[in-house]
Amino acid sequence: MPPHVHPPNTALRDPSSLFYQKESNRRLIIAAYWVVLIAALPIWWKTTSIERLSLPSSRVNSQAAKQLRLPIEIALEDVSLVKHLQQELDQRREQSPLVWNGLDVTVQSKTENGSYTIVHDDNRVVASERRLTFPLRKTTVPALADTLTGLLVPRLNSHRVAHYAPRYRLAFTLLNEDAAAGDTINGWDISKAISDHLSPIFDALSVLHNFTVESQVQFHAPLAFSPRTLSEGVGLTPEDLTVFVNSAEWTLSSSVSNDPVLHFLVFVPSATRRPMYILNSQGEPTSANSFLLPQWGGIIIYNPPAEDTLQSPMRPLPPTALNTIFSKFGKQLLALLGVARLPAGVDNSHTGILTGWQLDALLRRRAFENAAEAAETLQSIVKLVNQIENMPVGQDVRGDVQDSLDALDRIYASPIKSLNATLQHSANALTLASRAFFNPGMLALLYFPTEHKFAVYMPLFASAVIPLLATAVREIAAWRRQRREAP
Amino acid sequence: MRLLLFLLVVALVSAASQHEEVVGDFFSRSSNHTNNWAVLVCSSRYWFNYRHMANALGMYRTVKRLGIPDSNIILMLADDAACNSRNRFPGSVYANPGRLLDLYGENIEVDYRGYDVTVENFIRVITGRLDSSVPRNKRLLSDAHSNVFVYMTGHGGNEFLKFQDNEEISAWDIADAFEQMWQKRRYNELFFMIDTCQANTMYSKFYSPNILATGSSKLDQSSFSYENDADIGVSVIDRYTHYVLEYMENINKTSQTSMADLFAFYDPVKIASDPGVRSDLFRRPLDQVRITDFLGGVARAEVSDDDL
Repeated sequence: MPPHVHPPNTALRDPSSLFYQKESNRRLIIAAYWVVLIAALPIWWKTTSIERLSLPSSRVNSQAAKQLRLPIEIALEDVSLVKHLQQELDQRREQSPLVWNGLDVTVQSKTENGSYTIVHDDNRVVASERRLTFPLRKTTVPALADTLTGLLVPRLNSHRVAHYAPRYRLAFTLLNEDAAAGDTINGWDISKAISDHLSPIFDALSVLHNFTVESQVQFHAPLAFSPRTLSEGVGLTPEDLTVFVNSAEWTLSSSVSNDPVLHFLVFVPSATRRPMYILNSQGEPTSANSFLLPQWGGIIIYNPPAEDTLQSPMRPLPPTALNTIFSKFGKQLLALLGVARLPAGVDNSHTGILTGWQLDALLRRRAFENAAEAAETLQSIVKLVNQIENMPVGQDVRGDVQDSLDALDRIYASPIKSLNATLQHSANALTLASRAFFNPGMLALLYFPTEHKFAVYMPLFASAVIPLLATAVREIAAWRRQRREAP
Repeated sequence: MRLLLFLLVVALVSAASQHEEVVGDFFSRSSNHTNNWAVLVCSSRYWFNYRHMANALGMYRTVKRLGIPDSNIILMLADDAACNSRNRFPGSVYANPGRLLDLYGENIEVDYRGYDVTVENFIRVITGRLDSSVPRNKRLLSDAHSNVFVYMTGHGGNEFLKFQDNEEISAWDIADAFEQMWQKRRYNELFFMIDTCQANTMYSKFYSPNILATGSSKLDQSSFSYENDADIGVSVIDRYTHYVLEYMENINKTSQTSMADLFAFYDPVKIASDPGVRSDLFRRPLDQVRITDFLGGVARAEVSDDDL
């Protein structure tokens, strides 16, 4: 194409003499667009990329490989039996290694602080704080080893025990099935009952949990099913018990906090349905009047005695009933929290409060659980972050992971004797690991296949970039031609 | 895993313990759970999607009737059909042309409603990554002993489900969310049911263990509505959900009916699409999985004679 020639003798101005049509200006303008575009690339990259801080994965993996070991020292009064008892216990550990997992048991002759002592008593087997009396003879050593097994690693129904939480809310509810049917229990002296029966438990377990208590009385609490009618009163079959709680119509706890709730109900059957019995699987009434819903709470059915009814149709729960009910609630609470009972044949020296043996067994169990769960959660975080590529990892997640690892390290560093400190560190590690896992910022961006990305970007960018590219190509071609033709 | 194994052994040992009289020995039962949770999602809004609201509410009524407490049900309804100005029966939602049963009933707790029903909120509920200010009843607080039932309905396509007419959740998103649940031991077993077009593609990407999944129609198939009500003026329920709910009506809290029975009841002719089942991730045989293992209430109660 010949270069543009402006026709002579025309009134029109030569466009190439206009300043904005000057070649250099035009090229500068086009270049400016490109400069802005290229300069903006890092910003675009930064604003669309996800913050993924690196996690201490090797530390997490080495932590997960560790096994928490807790030593148990037993001091035996009778020196001659030390070896024999150690053998018996070792044998039991070999037989059921999973039950004894992480525990190192040594039997000694002398007492050291923090260890358990066994003293001779021919008549009684009594567990007190960290002491046990036992008839110590050569022939009784296997029996002693069995008793110790029951004390140190008690068998527990893990389905019943509530998941560990540093704080629980206990919701006590007195439910009248139907106050309108007559005879009603309209109140209870719950503060006294709690201070008499539950405060000692709260104190004993204060190392493990904090408790918040709430209570209420309800006057209309219908059942969602009809109990079976018996010759006298009504009966609840085992299946009925699983659906006893009519959660659709009973409001059992407030939802003011996110702490887990354990429920305790006293159910007073309507005057027309008394007495209410719990039936066994053959459909015969049993003497039991209470049952437990695993991890949920305890329920007691209270059938007011007929002679009370005659006195007044509207009265508070009598003190004797209150005592029976709350001592049972105490037992249910202990069961839900994983406190094991003393093995058969072992007496408690002071009734009501748990012994050091029981508390220690629970502390060890919770420490093992928490440490394992914390390590597992940390591993899950690392695994998920690797697996899901667009999952963000912010500073707070990394911080919690590191703090959790530190807490786990402290478990191993903490003075061997202090079970309390071990538990505190394990609980801390678990809380932090869970907080890291549940961090709201860790929500992965939704999955977009590549074609989706194209579909989103194309209409936006294609229309802007194509003219820019086209002009750039044209200008470069023109510039090269000019250079070639230049003399 | 080690902890689980440990707990299992402890549990097995303790079951043999002579001190505890457990009524209804649960080891004879197959499922290893103590509580049930349900997440029910209707992801579409607008009056003409009335049937999706009715699907979710029908499922809500069923799980509640079978014993899952409201505190354990997360109900997400993307629109409020009951209070829609076009509703000739204000405050009510019906799932059958005769309007025999008001699904809205007297006692209903919708946890996420209207514009709260988003993909993000759904994923947050499932993974537990909610802000600390979110109250208990809007959270899925399941644990390693929970069986979780997830039901979703709405408009969907190949590997996606539309939320609110403006965003989608993909099969990968749900699969990843379930994996995150599994990693944090937020379920023991999970039952996923979805009623949407090309529903079976939605569970094709799952990879976490112990998930049983079922959907209303296979790839390139639509899921159809069941029937119109002349007074309401729109379709009131989808075919698949209608037949599932019809089947559930014969189930009560103590029924022994298994999942295999439910799946055998699927009739592609009546449903007008091919419902699918995915059980390769699930470890129990389906004829031993009771429907109430997922849609039921408390698994068992323990009666003890006085001294626990």
